[in-house]
Amino acid sequence: MNCARCLLRLQSVGFLAPSVRAAVQHAALLQPATALSQITAHNTCGQALRRFHGSPGCYKSQPVPTDPGEEHEDRIKKDKSLITHDDLFERVAREAKTKATFNRVVDVFSKRDIRRRGHVEFIYAALKKMPEFGVERDLTVYNKLLDVFPKEVFVPRNFIQRMFNHYPRQQECGVQLLEQMENYGIMPNVESKVLIVQIFGDKSHPMRKYQRIMYWFPKFKHANPFPVPLQLPEDPVDLARLSLNRIANDLDAKVTVYQMPCTDISESGEEITFPHVVGIQSPDQMELLAKHNPNRPVFVEGPFPLWLRKICVYYYILRADPLPPEEKVEDSYDPERCFDYPLQLDLDLDRDMGDDDSFDVEDVDEGPVFAMCMTSQGDQATLNQWISGLQETNPTLGRVPTLFRLEAGPRELQGVADPGPGYREEGEEEAETDIVVEEEHQRSQGVKQ
Amino acid sequence: MNINRLIALSKSVQFGKILTSNARHATKEVNLPHRTIRTHARNLAYAKDLFLGKVNKAECFPYPEIGNEELEEINSFVAPVEKFFTEEVDSKRIDHEAKIPPETLNGLKELGLFGIQVPEEYGGLGLSNTMYARLGEIISLDGSIAVTLAAHQAIGLKGILIAGSEEQKAKYLPKLASGEHVAAFCLTEPGSGSDAASIQTKATLSEDRKTYLLNGSKIWISNGGFADLMTVFARTEVVGEDGVKKDKITAFIVERAFGGITSGKPEDKLGIRGSNTCEVSFDNCPVPVENVIGEVGGGFKVAMNILNSGRFSMGSAGSGMIKKLIEMTAEYAGSRKQFGKNLSEFGMIQEKFAVMAQNAFVMESMAYLTAGMMDRPGVPDCSLEAAMVKVSDLLPIGCLIVVCVVVSKLNDGIGVLIGYAVVGEQGVQERTKHTPLRCPSVEDQRGGCVVAYPTPTLTNVFSSEGGWICVSEALQVLGGLGYTKNYPYERYLRDCRILLIFEGTNEILRMYIALTGMQYAGKILTGKIKEMKKGNVGVAFEMLGRKLGDALGRKVDLGLTGMDGVVHPGLADSAKKLEQNVAHFGSTVENLLYRYGKTIVEEQLILKRVADVLINLYAMTAVLSRSSRSISIGLRNHDHEVLLANTFCTDAFFKNNYWLTQLQRNSPENQDENIKKIAREVLEKRTYVCSHPLDRTF
Repeated sequence: MNCARCLLRLQSVGFLAPSVRAAVQHAALLQPATALSQITAHNTCGQALRRFHGSPGCYKSQPVPTDPGEEHEDRIKKDKSLITHDDLFERVAREAKTKATFNRVVDVFSKRDIRRRGHVEFIYAALKKMPEFGVERDLTVYNKLLDVFPKEVFVPRNFIQRMFNHYPRQQECGVQLLEQMENYGIMPNVESKVLIVQIFGDKSHPMRKYQRIMYWFPKFKHANPFPVPLQLPEDPVDLARLSLNRIANDLDAKVTVYQMPCTDISESGEEITFPHVVGIQSPDQMELLAKHNPNRPVFVEGPFPLWLRKICVYYYILRADPLPPEEKVEDSYDPERCFDYPLQLDLDLDRDMGDDDSFDVEDVDEGPVFAMCMTSQGDQATLNQWISGLQETNPTLGRVPTLFRLEAGPRELQGVADPGPGYREEGEEEAETDIVVEEEHQRSQGVKQ
Repeated sequence: MNINRLIALSKSVQFGKILTSNARHATKEVNLPHRTIRTHARNLAYAKDLFLGKVNKAECFPYPEIGNEELEEINSFVAPVEKFFTEEVDSKRIDHEAKIPPETLNGLKELGLFGIQVPEEYGGLGLSNTMYARLGEIISLDGSIAVTLAAHQAIGLKGILIAGSEEQKAKYLPKLASGEHVAAFCLTEPGSGSDAASIQTKATLSEDRKTYLLNGSKIWISNGGFADLMTVFARTEVVGEDGVKKDKITAFIVERAFGGITSGKPEDKLGIRGSNTCEVSFDNCPVPVENVIGEVGGGFKVAMNILNSGRFSMGSAGSGMIKKLIEMTAEYAGSRKQFGKNLSEFGMIQEKFAVMAQNAFVMESMAYLTAGMMDRPGVPDCSLEAAMVKVSDLLPIGCLIVVCVVVSKLNDGIGVLIGYAVVGEQGVQERTKHTPLRCPSVEDQRGGCVVAYPTPTLTNVFSSEGGWICVSEALQVLGGLGYTKNYPYERYLRDCRILLIFEGTNEILRMYIALTGMQYAGKILTGKIKEMKKGNVGVAFEMLGRKLGDALGRKVDLGLTGMDGVVHPGLADSAKKLEQNVAHFGSTVENLLYRYGKTIVEEQLILKRVADVLINLYAMTAVLSRSSRSISIGLRNHDHEVLLANTFCTDAFFKNNYWLTQLQRNSPENQDENIKKIAREVLEKRTYVCSHPLDRTF
């Protein structure tokens, strides 16, 4: 129960008005202060973190230093610890940023002090550093971090503690940890649950957060009917295969590798790289292409982007313009088609309006797409290879004029830092990732509040 | 009945000679009124009239009978055949070796079973459909033999019989009838069975215009391994009326001796293992132009007529098999003890026998009613014009192909009558005359070909499915023993599975049954429905009044019982049920046409129910007609028949009611949308969609 709200209720009853106002002011003064301290304590997110309905009393319910000198020292220590924790990670990171080093830092902190002093700040610092160490999607690491909290200290022991917000900073820190897991799509396991119960008790805010995650995550786990695999294949050919199958969405479609990527040394000693050319075509598309009027040109168009998690790949299509209305041939009904029953009735009756449940759909006439391909090098020579490969299975293509309508577009954007031809990894730049994560943070908080 | 017969008798003297080419019939015609011609216009459209909610009782009542002499004739045929099948045929061995031994085949030839329906002048037995059905009951005791014979005569040589010229008949039929030559029917090609577009075999005319060269291959050809003569369908180039060259299908008689024919390895099948099914390929096989059946480019009609007529061959097969099974199984159930009681004392076992008896009874009734209708001569008149005008009445129902009118459609309603063929059991009578005439009443015109209505098809669907259920129930009575090869049940089970598949799968046949009727009803009701849609108050009130009447439980009286009734009073309740169903069916059909119009072709689930109801209605008619006759003339055990008939009719009545309810708009019983959705989702993924019940998400 929030103190301010309590007071407001009192106000509504109508007595103690002046003192109430003072109290409210006091609370208002205090709240930004706490928020400020939070920001200084951990600047993971560029905004004030979501708070429980903190009250001055609760704020005080932290382990209160007994004498002022110690309090002062403590504050210095805290300030220091803020630096040291970050520093600790930085120092370790000089060697290598891996899961092992991260775990070592956590171990060092846990062993240093039996009371785990400054663990909240440490956990905030650790959460912030996780993506740097590449452990932001590792459940065991999150559990290890949870384990940093001292056990049983924050579990409310009587109904009054239970009623008010017991150890709000710690609970908030626990919730923050769970929230980071949520943002990265990591589902806590039984171990996390046991830890939370040990640390905060079974009706605490982190526990509620845990329960909410466990309610929604499984429900949404399979919400996407077209899931992208967590681990995308490294090999560009395999990646192209996967992407093409994803675009085509036709179980009959067949992927053909027209050229494997390879490097060759020419006679003059130059190194020549052959890009991979992978195409896909379904039997329906082959049929369409066979029916295509050879006097009308077909177009090779692209590149078009396709995003797979953090990778962007580009594909090209072979298409034609939609048929002009005068060339359209209606499939006429052949009465000598079926030996056993009439395929059409010779009646002058149409479907009744009441039984016509079709929607009024505006059909936009689009030209047919005959095939798609992916290659690392979108120049005409490479794409020509694809077209000549297609000609083997589609003889009509030899008689149809083929026009290349290629855009240079996104190729320029990629720049020099292109890791592999044809696709690039955007997650390379740290800053960019952080922005993404942060945005996610804000979004999720906005929703939750 | 008697008056009809008298008329028929007197007319037969006049017309018998004209239309009967069968020598034997010519001599016996006075004694055999059933095989001759009646001249008054008869309305044959029984099943079609059901679509309009009418019962044409003259059509199915009384149950068709045969004369005493014919009965003796049949019995004299049946006795040796039955003896042969029980003593000489070793079905187990045929099944095991996947081959019919030559001595068995020779025995069949000696009995004349290769030419059951070939006219006697060509050396066949020249039996009527009724007699054929009777023999079919026995032949079906061995599935492999039944299929071999059916492939030979029900479809293999039918082309020559229906549409062949005199020379072709004289040249080929005698050898085919004696079994010296075996025939096969080569239509299906890789692709699909019913789709004419899948036929890719080419016949090209040689330069001297005397021979066609056949190229291509056919699959699933019964008797394909050893047939000496084949009816082959191939594409030929035909110049159409508008001068454009088109590929059209033509039928050819191809002898194996022509050369260029190779047969593939026999298929290894689930059942009917003794019959030979294989691929046949033609490589530049020369066929003389004289061997074209019908006209060049007219193969589609020939194929369709053969297929339509061939369906009857299996009508009675099911009942023959089940009757035999009941005997065998009852023997076991009566002697086997369990918990100190006979198996036959347990209710669940008793139920199985009731099901089998009922099914056998219904199938038998349907088969012989159909055969009787087909045998009833249906050619009213010798004048072409009259025939044309009555085509709608003639075509029909019941008579397989009583009349096959070839009309080339010029424009709406006006046709040129090119040929007119009467097909009875006597073969084909052909007349050709070019008479332009108006024929607005010609319906069912597909590609200039008039189709006979499917009573045999109704029988076929019912008996194939009933047969499958009964054989499976019989096997169940024996439990584990029935599953072993020591007993013939598993073989029967395997063999009878084919009945649901060949000569058009039951799904295709249901479409045929429903759509043909819908087309007929649609033609008649179009005007009325249009008026209704325009908001004609009179028609709407009439509809409303009828619906109100139905809702208030007005009794439907279609005249089956009562003063002019044709059903015995002992079956009056069942007859009332039939009448009620028919009336309900008629209004449902009208409603469906109102709602869907010609787009009903797309609504297969609705058509399936329409076909099912129609099959049940026809089955009810058949049992009522048969049992009425049995009571009236006092046949042995007719009370049992009455019991079976009443049970079946009640059962069918409630089933029909359920289906008809499903056909109403917004009926909660109708799950079609869900069914379609389930299928769509499964087919989209091409796999079973659900997660495993043991799967977890966390």
